Amino acid sequence: MEMLYHQFKRRVFGMAHRIVGASDSEEVAQEVFVRVFRGLANFRGDSALSTWIYRLTVNAALSHLAKRGRRQEVGDDSLGELPAPPATERDPGLAARIEAALAVLPAGYRAILVLHDVEGLSHEECAAILECRVGTCKSQLHKARAKMRELLGPQLGDHRDARRASSEDAE
Amino acid sequence: MNCTDARAKLTAYLDGELADERGSAVRGHLRECADCRRVSEDEAVLRDGLRRMPTMDPPASLWANVQRELAKAEVEDAHRPAWRRFVSSLIPQWRARDWALGVTALAAVTTFVVFRASRHSADVTNTPVIATTAPIASEPVTPVAMSNSDVTNDLKHEQSDRSASYAQTADELMHVATDARATWAPAQQQEFDHNVADLRAAITKAGEGRPQQAAYRSLIRYLQRSAIRDDVAFAGAAL
Repeated sequence: MEMLYHQFKRRVFGMAHRIVGASDSEEVAQEVFVRVFRGLANFRGDSALSTWIYRLTVNAALSHLAKRGRRQEVGDDSLGELPAPPATERDPGLAARIEAALAVLPAGYRAILVLHDVEGLSHEECAAILECRVGTCKSQLHKARAKMRELLGPQLGDHRDARRASSEDAE
Repeated sequence: MNCTDARAKLTAYLDGELADERGSAVRGHLRECADCRRVSEDEAVLRDGLRRMPTMDPPASLWANVQRELAKAEVEDAHRPAWRRFVSSLIPQWRARDWALGVTALAAVTTFVVFRASRHSADVTNTPVIATTAPIASEPVTPVAMSNSDVTNDLKHEQSDRSASYAQTADELMHVATDARATWAPAQQQEFDHNVADLRAAITKAGEGRPQQAAYRSLIRYLQRSAIRDDVAFAGAAL
């Protein structure tokens, strides 16, 4: 049982953290693992084990948000308070700004971005986890990234210039 | 291609999902349009940033809390009446689709029974003593040729998809059980290997479709028990 926990703990906790925020992530991850261990004996295997665990995580996180009926922890204003990024391609500040922007996205957009872009799952896997069609999944991802671009705005621009400069140097 | 079309396809293009011609058209538009090129570069920065997000380690207390909650749930199980445990044991095996099908079937049967009963009662009360009209000549009904090839193909694919899914699950559980196996005594390891080999042989021997899926389920059940409760797997080994 402990092996299974160690195999999935980072992914479950990371997803919960990015969907519900830091304050409730441990509570959601705990709920997911309890459901996993209590439900494993009845798991029929008609979807992959990892898909099932991801689905439990997304569902637990989204229903936790619904129950809490919370307003977003981080408002749009807080994006402006983040320090200006230094102009280097591997700026660790970009990750912090992305985390902050993720936190103000609608929960559904957050889920698809975390599954597809952060966890690197395919559209087919995302669709199985979110129980929607592959086409819906693709269009949600497109909208989610557009919203993120809008939220990060000029901050992405600095990284874009740095990226362009480093690719020109490479050439 | 205009900017609206190009931007609608940008996510798929950057993720390498567009086939040659569509990808080429987006690439061509990006060469000519500075605005869309800027959007594309922003999205690439964002996508790369998301992919490089650091993994998160849960706090050490999480595992202890999970164990505490599991223990609490088991104590609650012990205090629940047997009939409630039985009902609970059925519910997790029913997915939303199963419930929907069950409720729909029940509604259909109820409607049919009510309809038949009302027809029967109407026939009894409204049957005319003397027929006043001649029976209407009905036109011959031409049977419609129904092709079931699509359905057959769908069912065939569903069966093979399900077998593939079982195989993937068995592989994942095998990985977990193998990690657990490393901590067992040699005799237990040997018994586990022997049981798994038997179950795998049964899968190979079983015919395609349902028999093979049943064999996969036996392997999955055994691996689940091995991964969760070593002692159960060895005490029973009921394959």
